[in-house]
Amino acid sequence: MAEKASSKYDPTFAREVFKHVDAGEEIVKCMQCGVCAASCPLAEKMEFSPRKIFTMIRAGEREKVLGSKDIMLCTSCYTCIVRCPRKVPVMEVMHGLAHYALRQGFVPRRESAKFGREFWKCIYNTGRVNEAKAMQGYYLSDGLVAGAKKGLEMKDIALNMLTHGRMKFKSLVPIIPAAKIKDIASLRKMLDKAREMGKGGSPS
Amino acid sequence: MKYFLYSGCSLEESASNYLKSVEAVGKALGLEFAEIEDWNCCGASISYVGANKLSQEVLNARNLALAEAQGGYDIVAPCSSCYIVMNQVNHELKENEEQREKVNQILAEGNLKFKGTTRVRHVLDVLFYDVGVEKIKAAVKKPLKGIQVGGYVGCQTVRPYGEYDSVERPVIMDRIIEALGARAVDFTHKVRCCGSGIFLTELDFGFELVGEILRTATDKGAEVMTTACPLCQLNLEAYQSRINQKLGTNYHIPVTFITQLMAVAFGMDPNKDAALNQNLIPVDKVLKVAA
Repeated sequence: MAEKASSKYDPTFAREVFKHVDAGEEIVKCMQCGVCAASCPLAEKMEFSPRKIFTMIRAGEREKVLGSKDIMLCTSCYTCIVRCPRKVPVMEVMHGLAHYALRQGFVPRRESAKFGREFWKCIYNTGRVNEAKAMQGYYLSDGLVAGAKKGLEMKDIALNMLTHGRMKFKSLVPIIPAAKIKDIASLRKMLDKAREMGKGGSPS
Repeated sequence: MKYFLYSGCSLEESASNYLKSVEAVGKALGLEFAEIEDWNCCGASISYVGANKLSQEVLNARNLALAEAQGGYDIVAPCSSCYIVMNQVNHELKENEEQREKVNQILAEGNLKFKGTTRVRHVLDVLFYDVGVEKIKAAVKKPLKGIQVGGYVGCQTVRPYGEYDSVERPVIMDRIIEALGARAVDFTHKVRCCGSGIFLTELDFGFELVGEILRTATDKGAEVMTTACPLCQLNLEAYQSRINQKLGTNYHIPVTFITQLMAVAFGMDPNKDAALNQNLIPVDKVLKVAA
């Protein structure tokens, strides 16, 4: 009996998570109480709650975890973090898993991945995020036609923002580039180095 | 008192009415704001998609190091996302020497160094603890009498440390609303998430989250919503007609920033100072007070 139960546990993936996923080592503290699952505002939309994801990591279910839509449904509300009795930064583990999954070629959630990439691209290219440019980048990431269609679906809101002075006209025109911070060159060097030195990369 | 006002990216455009009203109210209450020269984006919460944790730490450590070098005043963030991200990095780097050294090794690319000598604070914290309810009350010239305000604090505004208010049942926004002469409506979803940065990419879920916030607030009689976060404000205000279509509701409730209400109550210009003309849903009840 005991042998059968332990044979279900495969620590290979858990080791990979500890080593390569930001905050991944924190899951050892999880005692499976489920407070995170009960606190999450989107838990009912998930197949696997954070608690289940942690169990699946311990069980070595690599593909199922990294391919799960649920590791990327986090709104970053910090409710799980402030409530976890074992002080597991659940949200950070989810962010870490999603980042790692994307770099491993999984796409847990396509739309959020596209938007998130555009958002980060704005930061890397200019040092700040011009919201309208980030939106355009996101809409156009599927090509001009699909982007135009998506943009048109939101045109009432965009127009409303524009006429109320909450979006600048030059931000709306794709060919006018967003302003950069002065020392963008050194910021990029820093970010390149941080990507290299931090976690999240491929297992070696 | 002098502070750095870290306006952040949203206040540059989509929440420019927040920035205008923060500056106006700050001036009226004797707060002096300086800008951190050459600040960069905090990365918000969604940056985990494109960046690892170290990159997000470096991004914020750069701002903190710039602020330290430029005078070291407390950094005030009106945006809850800026506040939570920057405050957390500041705490973690102060406490973790190994991580601090790693980050400083990277910041050296720009001849910067994080020392850990400043504080990051939310604008609500500064208004309540540095200015105080008594001083706010004393500045009120046109009380918002009879207006029922739903103070939607939002989730990130008071988290993760609860340094100035409860992470589950915050009260200071309501105390400020009351100081302005309005009635603070108590409702269950004061700190329930609005969907934040994934609202846009998971619209249907976002509609449900905001729908519940508006339902619980209006059920208790809220006529005007108020927030202290640009993304909360946008998500609650801009999509109301879509939410109505989707959920079969009939919301048309104005959503303000707390500093807009303050500017009106202080008798300041409703457009130039409170920037109410930039709200998508007219704030008629409040404008009547201003008239």
